[in-house]
Amino acid sequence: MLLHFNKRIPIYLQVLDWFKKRIVMGEFKRGESIPSRRALAATLKIHPNTAQKVYKELEEQQLITIERNVPSKVTMDQSVIDQARTELLDNTVTQFVESIRALQISLEEGLINFEKEYTIRKGSELDA
Amino acid sequence: MLEVRGLQKSYGQKKNVLNDVSFTVPLNQLTCLIGLNGEGKSTILKAIIGLIPVEAGTITIDGEKKQECITFVPDLSTMPSYMSVGEAIAYMRDYYPDWDPQVADELLGFFKLVPTDRIGNLSKGNKAKVNLLIGFAMNRPYLLLDEPLAGIDLFTKEQIAWIFSSHYMEGKGILMTTHEIAEVEHLIDRVIFLQNGTIIQEEDSEEMRELYGKSVQDRMREVYQT
Repeated sequence: MLLHFNKRIPIYLQVLDWFKKRIVMGEFKRGESIPSRRALAATLKIHPNTAQKVYKELEEQQLITIERNVPSKVTMDQSVIDQARTELLDNTVTQFVESIRALQISLEEGLINFEKEYTIRKGSELDA
Repeated sequence: MLEVRGLQKSYGQKKNVLNDVSFTVPLNQLTCLIGLNGEGKSTILKAIIGLIPVEAGTITIDGEKKQECITFVPDLSTMPSYMSVGEAIAYMRDYYPDWDPQVADELLGFFKLVPTDRIGNLSKGNKAKVNLLIGFAMNRPYLLLDEPLAGIDLFTKEQIAWIFSSHYMEGKGILMTTHEIAEVEHLIDRVIFLQNGTIIQEEDSEEMRELYGKSVQDRMREVYQT
């Protein structure tokens, strides 16, 4: 898999974000084992040190548990996953609001367009 | 840690080709030596391995002189062109006691090299792959890679760069020179900027991004175009 990295943002933060999304989306499920650091590095084509740093950070944020000699696992604690979900939502909303404010678009107009686009996307998903 | 201290080199009338060059190459990291053409990058690698004499300077590993811990991977093929890839590997295996046949086998497969192909008939990319295979199979803690990606097509470059995301990086201290920074900058731990034979900056690439929001290429522009 090739991630397109923004080379002005720390690589480990981009991989961390990618990984959190996978947990929130349920691609890496609660309590289930995750790829080894080696496998993650090879799959995403990142330096093993970066994979190491990402796993350390995920452990600090209690999203994964690391034990010696067994595969690391996603946390069993749903509240930690929910918290990560909230954080991702907050970040996305912040970016969205910053973008429309920069264009001097009102809240009302922004919301109308947001709702319209959301409905269209959902509709095309149901059709597919 | 590989430590280079006070390298000094002149070529005849050309003084200070290297001028008091000092830096370190830590284990488990990919350090990149960057500079425009003719700044002395290859000269530094060759001086470290003892291929060219220097007027002054010391190379130590953990404080001791242990050059047998360093492998130099040149940008040109050094194996005789009449040899096949398999013969070249067998030759090196017999010559170097620490040769790791498993690494050689794995990389042969990964790089999709054909053992019966003659070295002389290989593309530039495949020659570079053979060089890297030999370098990694020699199984020494420090590797010096001289322009491993120069003049190589995009897909072969991607295959070669794969090695920097692999377990072969573990326990190795790698010093690389390259002009192909765009392809590898997300894989590099540290960058050393060289200008007129002098080291002008040493930076951690993630720190460059985190503290200044700059890519390695951004920093290169600042360093070399101002």
